[in-house]
Amino acid sequence: MNGSIYSRLAVTNLKNNHKTYVPYILTAVLTVMMFYIMDALARNDGIVENNLKLILSYARGVIIVFAVIFLFYTNSFLIKRRKREIGVYNILGMGKRHIARMLFTETLITAVIGIGAGLVAGLVFSKLMYLALFKLLHFDVGLEFSVSVPSLMDTLVLFLVIFLLTLIYNLMQIRLANPVELLQGSRQGEREPKTKILLAIIGFALIGAGYTIALITESPLEAISSFFIAVVCVILGTYALFVAGSIAFLKALRKKKSFYYQAKHFTSVSGMIYRMKQNAVGLANICILSTMVLVMISTTLSLYAGMDDILRYRFPTEYGVILYQTTPEGEEQTEKIISEEMASHNVTVDPDTELVYRQGAVSAILRDGGFDLKETGDYSTSEIREVYMIPEADYNSMEGENISLDTDEVLVYSTGENWGEDQLQMGTRTYQVAGELDTLKLEPKNRARVVEAYYLIMSDEEEITKILKEAWENSDMSPEWIAQQSAVEYIHRFDLDGDKKDCTAAEEAMTERLTSEVAGTFCESRQQSRENFYGLYGSLFFIGIYLGALFLMATVLIIYYKQISEGYDDKERFQIMQKVGMDQKEVRRTIRSQVLTVFFLPLFMAVLHVAVAFQVIKKLMVTLNFTNTPLFLLCTVITVAVFAVFYAIVYGITAREYYKIVRR
Amino acid sequence: MALLDVKNVKKIYTTRFGGNQVEALRNVNFSVEPREYVAIMGESGSGKTTLLNILAALDKPTGGKVYLKGRDLAGIKEKEMAAFRRQNLGFVFQDFNLLDTFSIEDNILLPLVLSGRKYPEMEKRITPVVEKLRIADILKKYPYEVSGGQKQRAAVARALITKPQLILADEPTGALDSKAADGLLALFEEINRDGQTILMVTHSIKAASTANRVLFIKDGEVFHQLYRGNLSNEQMYQKISDTLTVLEAGGDE
Repeated sequence: MNGSIYSRLAVTNLKNNHKTYVPYILTAVLTVMMFYIMDALARNDGIVENNLKLILSYARGVIIVFAVIFLFYTNSFLIKRRKREIGVYNILGMGKRHIARMLFTETLITAVIGIGAGLVAGLVFSKLMYLALFKLLHFDVGLEFSVSVPSLMDTLVLFLVIFLLTLIYNLMQIRLANPVELLQGSRQGEREPKTKILLAIIGFALIGAGYTIALITESPLEAISSFFIAVVCVILGTYALFVAGSIAFLKALRKKKSFYYQAKHFTSVSGMIYRMKQNAVGLANICILSTMVLVMISTTLSLYAGMDDILRYRFPTEYGVILYQTTPEGEEQTEKIISEEMASHNVTVDPDTELVYRQGAVSAILRDGGFDLKETGDYSTSEIREVYMIPEADYNSMEGENISLDTDEVLVYSTGENWGEDQLQMGTRTYQVAGELDTLKLEPKNRARVVEAYYLIMSDEEEITKILKEAWENSDMSPEWIAQQSAVEYIHRFDLDGDKKDCTAAEEAMTERLTSEVAGTFCESRQQSRENFYGLYGSLFFIGIYLGALFLMATVLIIYYKQISEGYDDKERFQIMQKVGMDQKEVRRTIRSQVLTVFFLPLFMAVLHVAVAFQVIKKLMVTLNFTNTPLFLLCTVITVAVFAVFYAIVYGITAREYYKIVRR
Repeated sequence: MALLDVKNVKKIYTTRFGGNQVEALRNVNFSVEPREYVAIMGESGSGKTTLLNILAALDKPTGGKVYLKGRDLAGIKEKEMAAFRRQNLGFVFQDFNLLDTFSIEDNILLPLVLSGRKYPEMEKRITPVVEKLRIADILKKYPYEVSGGQKQRAAVARALITKPQLILADEPTGALDSKAADGLLALFEEINRDGQTILMVTHSIKAASTANRVLFIKDGEVFHQLYRGNLSNEQMYQKISDTLTVLEAGGDE
């Protein structure tokens, strides 16, 4: 009897508060489901790829952090709304122990429904997600997928702990307060917010700084480090601007009497001042979350959709072999294997794409009049360049030219700006620039290249070797490594003509034989790398969508709760206004303008952030071999559009709920 | 011509599930002349608030008519209603109904802003009103920062600023301590002397004793009325008190 009264009370409470509890339970269900699926995927034996496993377990970590923060946040919102109700119970003679018992039963019911339904949904959808992931990764789906018991246990434990924490938090809230405070609990915070001019200025400055950094960053390498600074600036700035900037702005509007004392501005401006006070942090959260969702999905989508471009950029030809420390015998052997395997698999070399040459590669730091030579690239400086030295004989045969250079002469080709001087120093050696090339078959001009590259055509291999030796003379690496790196290498790249299956077989056979039969070879196949790339970018895309969906859900829920809670606050206010002589139409107009502003301000800011971030992310993507800016733009626009549609739908639903509350 | 004319007003509420009908006002007849200060008294449930809502055009009578300056309230279109209310009626409520998002000044100006007046005009209008009501020094404050008496005076200022034909006051002293209540009532007398017509609903004898005329409502009808004549407030108080005693005794039979 005694026990059943608590469960009956708990059920009644949940029913009465269904407007806030249904979304809460729904969130719990979805979070449980998403965690279970991710956990099951991360534990799946069918996934052997290490990159993927790592990414999946990172994503699982993100979901855990997210679940804790988010369920806690929603819960604290719910309990705040209910303080009054609990105060009434307290005054009606329910002891705190009894209230605790009632809350315990409520939490138990919520947890059982949330975790139960979440796990069922997880089991149902995990197979689907599994298939989707494998489809994205271009893996063969041949593996059995079953219920993961350890994942079930993980999920159960994690969420029981989270619910327990929320219960403890609620009990603390009740314990610390006396009934009168509880009764007034949901009526606090009506004081007019102070203007924090300094904070507003700081907010502006931070966002300005973040934007400037993002916009002026030139090289992709600088972008990596500056991006994070910019992100931190913009996040902090967004909070400051929402918290202080909005209020400063509104108060400035209020000072302008001729503007403020107009029917259509009067109630909106003063109403907004209070709304911003209560909601600034929430709105900033929404803004940041939205930006994250947009950036995450648009970049991963672009990488995935631009996979072929990326592969073509990273692997200019379908097949390539590098022979380090080249020797005439090695070259001969390499060529023999290539032609034998091509013939035996019934495929041919596409002559238009074929490139055969020798080169010496060295990292260099740009300085006045030339380059300092480095054994390895120091990518923290924007002055780093890649220098490739090619003997004139190979240049002549590739380009069909017939030039002849002295030992102290070079032809210069740069992927970026022309060299533009008469001389060029390589370490201690000085060369006369005999001419600059506008094109080179080896590589097209590309200003977006991660590191600018220089190709130097030189008289012969001997001259190249001298420079290489100089670059490595003081190295403390192992002698074998030095010997390999400081020698000229032989490169043969080409596309294959023939049946696709045969080409793949030929590539596999060549790689197999070359690496085992010829010392110091390294083979690259676009086709074989494709799998790796799909593994990486496909899983990134999957995670992008997955976490994007999670964040979107969070955004939706925050917005929903904001509207509901404001509805209750505003109800009274609008009733008074009607009594004082405001008509229904004006009331509706005021409500609409406030709701619209609160709703779309974060989205507007998020889109602005994304637009600026676009510039710097574009450069960052180059380091991932992605250079297709129009595709990235398209993906970003699509992502923003889809997101905006979702946002508008949520707006529609919550605005309706809001009107219902305000109109009684 | 009477400023306010209430003729055979009836109000019947139907309970939510149909069936039961509750008669809040049976047959109310009275009129208010310009510059009058009228109090309507009655117990809780006597239909006072219903009557006031009908006079304020917040509610519609089931039968009968209400004329303000000869104009039938029922004939005013929904669209014009808010503007009509704003221009002709001033309201003072028991719980002040000040908006805590506005300063006292903005609360007072609210009806003018809604009417689309220009700010210089508002400034001109507000000064004499707040001086009379002695709240000029709290204009920049917010409702939660001032006392109940000050809040109610701000509400009166808000009602006065539109220069309404009629001020409708619903239990204006209900939420005030006795000192603040005395101050407010003195103020009512004062603005009435200046020519403002006031109709006040109350069940406080003290409040009613400041009026020129007191109407007693019982069971949805005007049961009795008292004129002040030359009586002082104290004498008026005694008279009202006696009437109420008779009223109650009569009601028990």
